[in-house]
Amino acid sequence: MTVEKTKTRLNIGADPREFQKRPSWTNEDILALLDEEDGTLDPRIYTDEDLYRLEQERVFGRAWILLGHETHVPKPGDFLTTYMGEDPVILVRQKDKSLRVFLNQCPHRGMRICRTDGGNAKSFTCSYHGWAYDLGGNLINVPYESEAFCSDFNKSEWGPTHARVETYKGLVFANWDKNAPTLLEYLSDATYYMDHMLDRTPAGTEVIGGMQKWVIPCNWKFAAEQFCSDMYHAGTVSHLSGIEAGLPEGMELSDTKIPTVGYQFRAKWGGHGTGFYVGEPGMMLAIMGPKVTEYWTDSEAANRAEKHLGSAERARQLMVQHMTVFPTCSFLPGINTVRTWQPRGPHETEIWAFTVVDADAPEEVKEEYRRQTLRTFSAGGVFEQDDGENWVEIQSVLRGHQARKRRFNIQMGKGRSGVGNKDFPGSIGYVYNEEAARGLYRQWIRMMTEPSWETLGP
Amino acid sequence: MIDEKMRAATRQGDISLEALSLQHEVEQFYYREALLLDRHEFNDWFDLLDEDIRYFMPIRTNRTRREQKKLEYTKDNEFAHFDDDLTMMRGRQRKLMSDVGWSENPASRTRHIVGNVLIEEELSASELSVVSSFIVYRNRLERQVDIFAGERLDVLRRAENELGFKIAKRTIHIDQSTILSNNLSLFF
Repeated sequence: MTVEKTKTRLNIGADPREFQKRPSWTNEDILALLDEEDGTLDPRIYTDEDLYRLEQERVFGRAWILLGHETHVPKPGDFLTTYMGEDPVILVRQKDKSLRVFLNQCPHRGMRICRTDGGNAKSFTCSYHGWAYDLGGNLINVPYESEAFCSDFNKSEWGPTHARVETYKGLVFANWDKNAPTLLEYLSDATYYMDHMLDRTPAGTEVIGGMQKWVIPCNWKFAAEQFCSDMYHAGTVSHLSGIEAGLPEGMELSDTKIPTVGYQFRAKWGGHGTGFYVGEPGMMLAIMGPKVTEYWTDSEAANRAEKHLGSAERARQLMVQHMTVFPTCSFLPGINTVRTWQPRGPHETEIWAFTVVDADAPEEVKEEYRRQTLRTFSAGGVFEQDDGENWVEIQSVLRGHQARKRRFNIQMGKGRSGVGNKDFPGSIGYVYNEEAARGLYRQWIRMMTEPSWETLGP
Repeated sequence: MIDEKMRAATRQGDISLEALSLQHEVEQFYYREALLLDRHEFNDWFDLLDEDIRYFMPIRTNRTRREQKKLEYTKDNEFAHFDDDLTMMRGRQRKLMSDVGWSENPASRTRHIVGNVLIEEELSASELSVVSSFIVYRNRLERQVDIFAGERLDVLRRAENELGFKIAKRTIHIDQSTILSNNLSLFF
C-alpha cells in the first residue's frame, strides 16, 4: 500500500499498481491506515464501503455500545428501541428489574418486532404474522402453531438474537460477543474520568426525559474522535459564536477568557479518551450559565462531590470535560449531554442524545441543566450546530480521490503524554492534544485486525 | 375597538367585516414575518419576540396509538429541540449575526411558507391564539437541501409596531421524529 505521507510530493494522478489490487482489505492494509509514530491517518477510514462493512462486524459486533440510561426504562415492561451499529435492538426492563436486550427482528421472516420508540408493553407481537414475544424476548405464541407448523418446530429455538447487557453507574451498554470482556474490564482505567459525571453523589444520576435524534452526513468517527480528543476546536475557532451566544448582554467576545490550563487522558486500553480544563470557569459559564456553574463549582452539591470523588480538582476545578468510551458513547461531564453516534453507512451518522443530572439535584438545577443543554448541545444547540457544519464539509471533501489520498495529521502532543500527574491518574498530556485520538484509532485498528479477545483483550 | 374585532373574528363561521379584517391582519403579519426571516432581516425578526416569549419545539416520537396521546410529544420537564426565553433567543441572535457563526456563515437560503391560518381563540383583549402550518425549505452552501413541515401554535399579542403584533408564545410541532438535517440553525 503506497499512500502519500505527510510530506508534500507531486502526485502521479493515479497509481498504476492500485489498478491491480484486489478490492478487499488485508490486515496489513488496515494496519497501515494509522501510523502512530509518524502521527498520520489514512482518511479512507471515513469513506470506504468495505471498511464500513468490516467495521459493523468486527467493531460493532464486539464492542460495548451505549443504549441509554437505566431511568429511561424504570418500570417492568418499560422499553426503548435503539441500535447497536446498524442492528435494531429492544432494551426492556424485566419483571425482576433486570434488563434484557435483543435484536428487534422476528426470526421467522425478519420483520421488525417493535416499531415504536419506546413505551410500556406486556409483550411484543410481530405485525407480519403475529409471532409474539414476552418481555424477555422469548417466543411465546405462534398463530396456528399446531395446525400449520411442523412436528419438530420448537418455539424455544426461535426467539430473537440476544445481546449481553451491563450497566455502569446508570449508563446501559450491550455487547453481542459472548467472549468480550465484562463492561468494567472494557472501560479500563477510563471509569475514573466517567465518574466526574456519573458519581458525584451517592444518589447517582437520572435522565431528563426524551431522546433527541438527528442526522449528520458524516462518518461516526469524526464525532467520536472529537469528543474523545478534541478540545482544540473548542478553544480555538469552531465554537466562538457559541460562546458569544452565552455571554451576558453587553459583554464582548474579546472580554472572555478561554482557559489555557487543562489535560488530556488516553486510556491504557480500549480507545477511550477524555480532556478537560482546570480552574478557569469562563468556558463553562458561556455554555451552562451561572446557575449550573455555581452548582458544579461552589455549592453544597460541589462540597459533597468533592468528598465523594476525593478531591477538589476532580469535583469542582475540572470543567468542560469531553469524553468518548470507544466506539460510540460520548458525553460531556458538567454539561451532562450523553449520546450514541449511530453509524448509518460510511457517510452518515445519527446522533441519539440525552441529558443526565444528579438524581438529588434541586429541581431548579435540573431545569437549568435541561434548558442550557438543549440551548448549547443539541441539533439546534449554539455549540453543536457548528460541529455538524465541520464534519459534513470534511465528508463532502473526501469524495475527492486526491483528498482521500492525502494522509491527515494527528501529530499533536506526540510523545509528550505520560503517567505521573499529581492530580490525574493514567496517561496524561496537555489539553490540546491528539494522544486520545491516536488511542481511539489504535483500538479501531486492533478490533479490525485481531480476531481473538486473547490478544485483543485488556 | 381591537377587542370587538377579535371577539367577532373568533366566533366560528363569522364573516363579519371585523372577522375578515382581523384574519387578513394576522395573515399579513405571518407573511411579513416570513419575509424578515427569508431576507435575513434577523434583527427585525427578533424584535417581534415579546419580553416573555417561550419559543418551544418539543421532540416528537413514534408511539402506539394507545400511548400516542400521552407520550408523542416530550413534556415541559423533558428534553426539547428548543425551549427558549428571550435571553436565550437574544443569544441565538448574537450567534446568528456573528462573523464566526459557521453554521449560518455563509447564510442558508430559506423560504418560509405559512398557511392554514386559523384564529382559534381570543385569550384576552390583546391576545389571540393562532394555529398555522408551515413548510420551510432550506438550501445551504453548495447543495444541502432540507425541508421541514409542521404546525405553529402561537399566542400573538397586540403591539405598537409596524406589524401590529408581537409573538408572546410559539410552540412548534415539527413533522419529524428524527430531525433529518445536520442542525437546526434556522427559525420557524
